[in-house]
Amino acid sequence: MKSVVLLSDARHPVSGRAVLSRLEAQAIGLGTALGGTLTGLHAGDCEDGVQESLGHGLSALDILSLPPEADPVSALTDFLKAQKADLILAGRRGEGGFDSGLLPYALAEALGLPILADAVALTPGEATDTLVVDQALAKGARRRVTVRLPALVTVHPLAPAPLPFAFGAMRRGTIRRHVAEAADASTDPVEERPYRARPKLMRTSSATASAENLHVGPEPEEAARLILDYLESNGIRRYG
Amino acid sequence: MTRPRIDPRASRTEQRVASGENGRRRYDLSSRTASNPIGPPRRDPRQEWAASLIDRPGRRRYDRSQRPVARGGASNVEAARVGSAAEAVSTEPTVRIIEEPAFLVFAFVDAPGGRLSRFDRQVLGGARLLADAGGGGGAVVAIVAEEIDGLGAAGADRVMSLPTNGSASARAAALRAAIETHAPRHVLFAEDGDAADCARRLSVALGEPLFSNVEHLTARQVVRPNRGRRAELAAAPPRLMTLGEDRAKMHAGAPGEARPLEFETAPSDDQAILSVEIIPGDPARLALSETDFVVSAGNGVTDFEGFRELAALMKGTPGASRVVCDAGLMPRGAQVGASGTVLAADCYFALGISGAPQHLQGIAACEQVIAVNTDLHAAMIERAGLAIVQDAQLVMPALIKLLKERQS
Ligand SMILES: Cc1cc2nc3c(=O)[nH]c(=O)nc-3n(C[C@H](O)[C@H](O)[C@H](O)COP(=O)(O)OP(=O)(O)OC[C@H]3O[C@@H](n4cnc5c(N)ncnc54)[C@H](O)[C@@H]3O)c2cc1C
Repeated sequence: MKSVVLLSDARHPVSGRAVLSRLEAQAIGLGTALGGTLTGLHAGDCEDGVQESLGHGLSALDILSLPPEADPVSALTDFLKAQKADLILAGRRGEGGFDSGLLPYALAEALGLPILADAVALTPGEATDTLVVDQALAKGARRRVTVRLPALVTVHPLAPAPLPFAFGAMRRGTIRRHVAEAADASTDPVEERPYRARPKLMRTSSATASAENLHVGPEPEEAARLILDYLESNGIRRYG
Repeated sequence: MTRPRIDPRASRTEQRVASGENGRRRYDLSSRTASNPIGPPRRDPRQEWAASLIDRPGRRRYDRSQRPVARGGASNVEAARVGSAAEAVSTEPTVRIIEEPAFLVFAFVDAPGGRLSRFDRQVLGGARLLADAGGGGGAVVAIVAEEIDGLGAAGADRVMSLPTNGSASARAAALRAAIETHAPRHVLFAEDGDAADCARRLSVALGEPLFSNVEHLTARQVVRPNRGRRAELAAAPPRLMTLGEDRAKMHAGAPGEARPLEFETAPSDDQAILSVEIIPGDPARLALSETDFVVSAGNGVTDFEGFRELAALMKGTPGASRVVCDAGLMPRGAQVGASGTVLAADCYFALGISGAPQHLQGIAACEQVIAVNTDLHAAMIERAGLAIVQDAQLVMPALIKLLKERQS
């Protein structure tokens, strides 16, 4: 199986230095566990950060040189069409750029691939050319989807931690540079200004300490019944 | 509860009677001329306390929260202050009906398990804000996948049900068809899970930009962070938006009617998806920050074997207070509170926990709290929605017995 991990130009949230995004490092971990060949793909002009991916388990890295603000979708589409990869992995959001998380979807549309979001585990399916993807849902639930390859999968932060970094592996890894045609990014009429931190809403409970629900010294059996009835009437759990 | 604030000197002057020439002052105290009130009305604190007294036999309890809670009797401080206690008693709020909406605002409601989460309510609240913008007249349409209670109270005027067969692309296609027929002014999603996925699918399918992770939402402008929170982007509210968590207020005004809005779509199928299966989370192995129900033990619990069995039977994630973790009776990962895990759970069940401030910080987001404690005056009993003053060592075996009975 041939897999490609998309690597973005991520920035460290504090220092602003180019780093490898943690989600993409996790994607490398998931892809390595699947077996087959796994390469990285970056479109842009910043090599410092994405280079780290070689130290996290990638054997080779393709870099499509693009000016910093260019739209990478068309360049990536052309390259991936030629590659014929079975599986394309990506983080679900960028870090330190526009961070809208739209690129994997735009790419899936351009390549005509199905896209599955928020993967935490990948296993090969029973039939050939299928993949079982576990998607993270709220409250610890998982959705297990079997998808026919080729497909595009984005990775959730709850996926297993990335493989440890090895400096020697990073030095040994190969980097292939390609020339790509830059498409001009759409000019958006949005105003950009310095960030202002805004407070989040406080999480206060909506339930009042309602005195009707205070029971002083009930029989233990009665207390147990009250507790289970409270849980069931509020839709938290069903027992029996 | 309030009375007008009177200037005593002015009223004294008004009561003065014209007297003889020897200049002795005389007053007619029986005359009650209505002198003009000055300043805000005077509060009567005693009456306010009396009104907030919860009429229960036994120990006196006051509700000073000023929340509009419907409690039988006169206990609404806010209403009492205004002096219209009679109005406040009508607890059933009038439903607000928008017959001919000027425009529509779609709110995508995920509601896993058929319960509206805080985040879902915030999305509906944000949609309500956009619908009331610029003179109002807009209607909020909640896009749901299954039957959900309480949509009206959360601010939805219409409910559109888009059935799913588990495939995200089919749902996005159905929503796209709905958007093309109804042409809503805005479509609001949560920046989380399936809603975020659907928003991006739609953005690409419609070829419209998506304003994601909105941190500041008003009727006139939306703001989102950019370049790793070094810059921010501001714009007039566009069509497609995803809202960050805890960024918009829930709807608190009159409930909407949540009238069903029919919409027929041919369910499309995704050829590449071969099978879909939902695996519910195993509460015993979930991280505390991810679970929805925590069963927690404090210093008042001595039988930890029984406690673990109880947590497993109740299908809750075990948690503990710091004292218990310090003593090595529960792992450190189970500690709830300021220096442990801050929960996002819906329900918290505290056995023998006093409710220290550091502990209560960790459960601030929990909607339902159940406390079992021997101390009536414990802070946890005050915080709880269901408080039981009883020995935890007696309640635990009774619960285990009852759960086993119900299961068999
Ligand atoms: C900097 C700092 C950070 C802290 N961070 C945390 C934190 O993150 N999390 C945390 O939990 N604590 C934290 N603490 C500790 C906190 O202040 C309290 O000491 C601790 O929460 C108390 O735990 P407890 O309620 O289990 O024990 P106690 O305060 O001893 O309360 C035991 C309760 O059990 C009741 N009880 C006794 N016997 C029974 C029985 N048989 N049946 C039923 N009830 C019974 C008692 O009435 C009492 O209310 C922190 C403290 C500091 C100073």
